[in-house]
Amino acid sequence: MSLQDRTPVEPDVGVDEDGLDYDELEALLDGRVLDREDHVNAEGFVIRPDEVQQVLSTLKEEAGFDHCSAVTAQEYDDRFESIYHLKKFEDPTQELSVIVPTSKDNPVSESAAPVYDTADWHEREAYDLVGINYEGHPDLRRILLPETWQGHPLSERYNQTQPQVVPLREHANPLEEDHRGDGEDADTMFVNIGPHHPATHGVLHVKTVLDGEQIVDLDPDIGYLHRCEEQMCEQGTYRHQIMPYPDRWDYTPGGLLNEWAYARAAEDLADIDVPEYAQVLRTMSAELTRIAAHMLAVGTFGLDLYGDFTVIFMYAIRDREVVQNLLEDLTGQRLMFNYFRLGGVAWDLPEPREEYLDKVREFTADIPDRLEEYHNLISGNEIFQMRCVDTGILPPETAKSYGATGPVARGSGIDYDLRRDDPYGYYDELDWDVITEDGCDNYARLLVRLKEVEESAKIIRQCADLLSEWPEDDRTIQSNVPRTLRPDPDKEIYRAVEGAKGELGIYIRSDGTDKPARFKIRSPCFSNLQTLPVMSEGEYIPDMVASLGSLDIVLGEVDR
Amino acid sequence: MIPLQAVTLTDRILNLIGLDASTAGPLVVFGVSILAAGLVGTFVLLNTAVAGPYAKRKITAAFTDRISVNRIGPAGIGTIVVDSVRLLSKELIIPEDADRPAYDLAPILLAGSALLGFAVIPMGSGIQVADPEIGLAYVFAVASIASLGLLMAGYASNNKYSFLGGLRAVAQNIAYEIPLVLTGASVVIFAGTLRLSEIVAAQEGTLLALGPVAIPNWFAFVNPFAFALFMAANLAEVGRNPFDIPEAPTEIVAGYQTEYSSVYFVLFYLGEFIHIFLGGAIITTLFLGGPAGPVLPGIVWFTIKIWSVFLFTQWARSAVPRFRIDQLIALGWKVLLVLSLANLLLTAVIVGVIA
Amino acid sequence: MIGILKGLATTMKHALDGKTFTVKYPEEAPEVSPRFRGVHKYSQERCIWCRQCENVCPNDTIQIVMDDQRNGEQYNLHVGQCIYCRLCEEVCPTDAIVLTQNFEFTGDTKDDLAYNKEQLKNVPWYKDIDPLESREPDRGSWVSEGEGEVDYQ
Repeated sequence: MSLQDRTPVEPDVGVDEDGLDYDELEALLDGRVLDREDHVNAEGFVIRPDEVQQVLSTLKEEAGFDHCSAVTAQEYDDRFESIYHLKKFEDPTQELSVIVPTSKDNPVSESAAPVYDTADWHEREAYDLVGINYEGHPDLRRILLPETWQGHPLSERYNQTQPQVVPLREHANPLEEDHRGDGEDADTMFVNIGPHHPATHGVLHVKTVLDGEQIVDLDPDIGYLHRCEEQMCEQGTYRHQIMPYPDRWDYTPGGLLNEWAYARAAEDLADIDVPEYAQVLRTMSAELTRIAAHMLAVGTFGLDLYGDFTVIFMYAIRDREVVQNLLEDLTGQRLMFNYFRLGGVAWDLPEPREEYLDKVREFTADIPDRLEEYHNLISGNEIFQMRCVDTGILPPETAKSYGATGPVARGSGIDYDLRRDDPYGYYDELDWDVITEDGCDNYARLLVRLKEVEESAKIIRQCADLLSEWPEDDRTIQSNVPRTLRPDPDKEIYRAVEGAKGELGIYIRSDGTDKPARFKIRSPCFSNLQTLPVMSEGEYIPDMVASLGSLDIVLGEVDR
Repeated sequence: MIPLQAVTLTDRILNLIGLDASTAGPLVVFGVSILAAGLVGTFVLLNTAVAGPYAKRKITAAFTDRISVNRIGPAGIGTIVVDSVRLLSKELIIPEDADRPAYDLAPILLAGSALLGFAVIPMGSGIQVADPEIGLAYVFAVASIASLGLLMAGYASNNKYSFLGGLRAVAQNIAYEIPLVLTGASVVIFAGTLRLSEIVAAQEGTLLALGPVAIPNWFAFVNPFAFALFMAANLAEVGRNPFDIPEAPTEIVAGYQTEYSSVYFVLFYLGEFIHIFLGGAIITTLFLGGPAGPVLPGIVWFTIKIWSVFLFTQWARSAVPRFRIDQLIALGWKVLLVLSLANLLLTAVIVGVIA
Repeated sequence: MIGILKGLATTMKHALDGKTFTVKYPEEAPEVSPRFRGVHKYSQERCIWCRQCENVCPNDTIQIVMDDQRNGEQYNLHVGQCIYCRLCEEVCPTDAIVLTQNFEFTGDTKDDLAYNKEQLKNVPWYKDIDPLESREPDRGSWVSEGEGEVDYQ
């Protein structure tokens, strides 16, 4: 937690000294709240499906809820339900869930996309998987599944036995219709960038319409790496079986940060305490993964701008390798750590402890030298600056509306970091700063990442000192957690941590069994990727590639 | 220093077998000329073969702290053979609706045009196939045929990435050819001739003697500004970082060569490297005193010099980011062209005043 | 221009110092951490057939077949399907299944990677590292009580 004073937030409507005053908020909504539910993280207001836009815009304009984290859709026995998880960028502990039930027979609900731009993709996902129709949505198409998919797989009426293979010719012939524009003389060219392309960082498909070298229209097409991660977690038991999977969402490696997202949500859901010693271990190892993830982000961004065989990629990978060795010693794996457990971590530090901590300290002491090299190679290079400064511009207001978080938001000057604003782990006891840059361009996002590496090193150094001084008889790495966890039925929680790419949130609904009834991942990359058209339209192809690199998306997390 | 002869390699071979160009029949002269061209071509291709599959990897590996190829032969030198066999034995895939004659001609044109340029380069030790009066103009002329090849490849492939790459290549080559030629012209003003052997001869002697170290009268030292300009324009001409946008892999996959495979790809790959070496040879001839150098024979010095230029292109490739196409064109027309014109004028004035 | 020259200088420095960080893998087997999770090793003598590993396995990698007397007959583990999360070792009360450091396993088909209990028994230690020593020390001594050395058979 930074020691600098944050300017006191001006009291908004519905805020008192202890946080949100839900009664006042309900009064603000003027009788539109039908019912109130109690979620673990916040209260939920149940509203009518045809008043979504009115309620949300009131909450956004008058109560200051400017961040729509995610939209969770699910089906109950008697209804469909969409939950809008609202927050404030100023203070993310002030949360509110807006619950929109719709009938089974006619699941139509008003779209929130006109209020929050981010709801566009989130509602498309809800439509695609659960089958809720959003009225007034600008572009209600499938997003994760192919256009030809029959039925909505998460709804109860879905026919599991129906074959879903559709030949390409019936689907769409991508070789036809080169010109999209007005009339025969349209001077544009349609190009598919991806799903197999050197610069899309995975299997992303960007449909672009080019006018010469400039991008007229751009539509990211995702879903090629959809692996049903949410459903896999719904099949696993809370206690053991879910934890190995978060590593596979953001595998760059954001592994431990993802594990923490699940651990935080599940621990709050089942009231599990985590010993302080384990929190320090978690904080240290999570920051190590953050360094590794940022190194890869910087390296691949270098590749996008330099071309193949650039040194910056190799140097970044070399430094990341050091982190991975440290993590291997601690967790036993280089990428798929499975290190966190509910109520703690799996291992203490490897013996001999001091030797390991010295290695960690040596690494963090090296960081400034390494970063100097990076600055020499990339951020100080004039050609690099020509390419990055003032390209891929994302104004703060747009970023907020699209729900951009993490380095992308901080590169646009939004001072939002859940490690400080919604403290968890041991962060609030440590001395570090949240990095923001006001450039709003590709360059600012890169600088944020490079500086965050330094801040992470600071955190790691403090954790290493704490660990070596920790009294020997107080080194509990796991609290006593029952072998089988069965949280109370119908508890709902949305909890987020600051992942490598931004706010990584988990929504869990329990139904009294040892497995979650609904598990929803709010992926930061998913929301960040939505800003790509805003950044790139009107710019050149190379700038689009650079913007994509500076967004640092991992398709494993976008598609889940 | 090796004395420079005005005689060509053909004459030398004829002398070696006891004949004279004036007395031998035209068929014999023709045959011997073919032999001489073959020898020079082999020399160039040998360099390219070492550079393409092997040296390029090793140099890049050195910059990126890696070892690179080391499996076959001592220090991995056998990779050259293995790689050629691998590339040549691949299936030749020709896309549907490719514009056939153009599609087939493009790689040949690219590799051939660069190879043609070497005909007039004085390589030292008396190796020079021909020495026409308009040598420099000839080199620039044949080197720029390559642009045609790139455009043909890009257009004939029936692929949008190739198309973009071909257009980029032409736009870039035109933007950089002019500064290149203008800077070359400033050297011509110094030397007073277009004949390459005479340009080399003009660089004999010492510019400055600092004690035991004698700085030779190379145009790189006489006019370092022109040298820097020429190096930059040459990087763009051969399409290496920071000017590798015609093939920019992260933007347009592989540009004009996206659809090429097997033998055609080898020709492209080869042509690219011959071009780099031709650029190196022009720089060597115009600015680095040609094959001149102490102790070692001229051909060795010539090889060392063209390899240094090659090393520089690889160095730039691993450390300098790529321009954006509009920035590149702006740089070519607005900066390099102006600078090279200024350089030409200044040189003309200086030479005029001195002479 | 200065920035570009700085970049060029940095790379040249790296080229000239001659250091490489390439791992010469097949010639030099890499050092792995004692906690590294590789292929499983299974001891039928210790196994009490409690089926906890089978239950905890997140993706059904372990298959145990018992007769109607609840005597163990088969213990199959698909090392190609396994995600190496180490949960089976964590829940095993007798250390009958441990993850060795051995990461070198191949097969021509997927079926080759489905190991039965014989194959699991014969998985070699990697560089003779016994992973139990790196785990909680008291637990290892409890298992090897009297013998001095753990004997997997």
